[in-house]
Amino acid sequence: MKHMVEMENVHKSFGSIEVLRGLNLVVDEGEKVVIIGPSGSGKSTILRCINRLENIQAGTIRFEGVEINNKTDLCALRTNIGMVFQRFNLFPHKTVLENIIEAPIQVKTLNRQEAVKIALQLLERVGLAEKRDAYPPQLSGGQQQRVAIARALAMNPKIMLFDEPTSALDPELVGEVLGVMKSLADEGMSMIVVTHELGFAREVADRVIFMDQGVIVEVGSPKEFFENPQQERTKAFLSCMRH
Amino acid sequence: MNLDYSVILSKLPILLQGGIVTLKVSLFALLIGMIFGLFGALFRISSNRVLNSIGFVYVWIIRGTPLMVQLFILYFGLPQLGIKLSSMTAGILGLAVNTGAYVTEILRAGIQAVDKGQMEAAQSLGMSYSKAMVRIIAPQAVKISIPPLVNQFIMTLKNSSIASLVTITELLRTGEQLIYTTFRSFEVYTTIGVIYLIMNSIFMVIANQLERRMAQK
Repeated sequence: MKHMVEMENVHKSFGSIEVLRGLNLVVDEGEKVVIIGPSGSGKSTILRCINRLENIQAGTIRFEGVEINNKTDLCALRTNIGMVFQRFNLFPHKTVLENIIEAPIQVKTLNRQEAVKIALQLLERVGLAEKRDAYPPQLSGGQQQRVAIARALAMNPKIMLFDEPTSALDPELVGEVLGVMKSLADEGMSMIVVTHELGFAREVADRVIFMDQGVIVEVGSPKEFFENPQQERTKAFLSCMRH
Repeated sequence: MNLDYSVILSKLPILLQGGIVTLKVSLFALLIGMIFGLFGALFRISSNRVLNSIGFVYVWIIRGTPLMVQLFILYFGLPQLGIKLSSMTAGILGLAVNTGAYVTEILRAGIQAVDKGQMEAAQSLGMSYSKAMVRIIAPQAVKISIPPLVNQFIMTLKNSSIASLVTITELLRTGEQLIYTTFRSFEVYTTIGVIYLIMNSIFMVIANQLERRMAQK
């Protein structure tokens, strides 16, 4: 199996606070990894280091076997890595369709017709074809997040990073977003998902990772992880989440 | 009380000519000031220390000194160094430099008011910093900046009256010349005030419509 992302002994600090303390993680092609853990444990920072929204202080990160460093063409790297944010971050001055075709036209230099064709297929897929001309503020959170997923997919990425994609949503809207993510997983997309949705982790993940205070505390298949956690901290966290 | 506006009425074309000069000076100053402000703002948000310092010093000096002193340095001061500017050039340049400093701060604040997630989203899609700035951040920043920009444009139009002190025969100076011959201070100054008010009102109406149209998007 080809390694998609490899992180070796990665250290990341914000000022004097060390958020990642020697992190090691390998994600294979087609693999779905779910990262859970308390807030401030460094989960989101992992994702943000992979596409270099954050610089790391020490260690190595490789994407498809190639080290990401100061010489890396970040724009090219990022076209291969789709990212979905907690707060959607759609472009409010552009319509749904314009949001999706923006990067394919501007970065991949697709012509407008091709870009629109791809965008419409993706909108169909996330169930929002009729919203193509709406502006983001006119949509519900769940709809905005589905557009954001379509926008990331429009670049045809090799891996998708989800940074707490349902945390900013009203409870009744969580399902529609998780549904889209599940269908994406079923199609074999490589995914790293930071989430508090344990049900999603149980159902979709190949591996579940529990993080606390900048290190990986426990890794396991969903079955081992949820039914028979080994570490005390994992047990404590899971029992909190279940209540 | 012996107010007589008939004298003014017969001289109205002269006053309006002064008004046109005021408009001309203001519009040129605004246009050039916007360019100064755009570069100033780009300098201020730049991570390049030299550019950043230039932007900082520009705003610091211009905001910290009176416009009148700035104009006097340009028009009365520079000739001593061998640089002679016409009154029109000095007036427009001075007003533009002054406006530019305020526009710098308005645009900088506008850019920084755009949610950080917008730049991150654009970059995560593979857009370069500059492309994201132009395509994603700038349109949102401009929208945020319009109300304070309108405010600044009105200030510049009114500040152009100070250009009368470097001998530009704009609205205020035209009026003062009229007073020398008619001795009608009250009538002339109130008429001038009304002309300024009308010019600014037209401008405010246009700005309101622009703002409303942008809000619809």
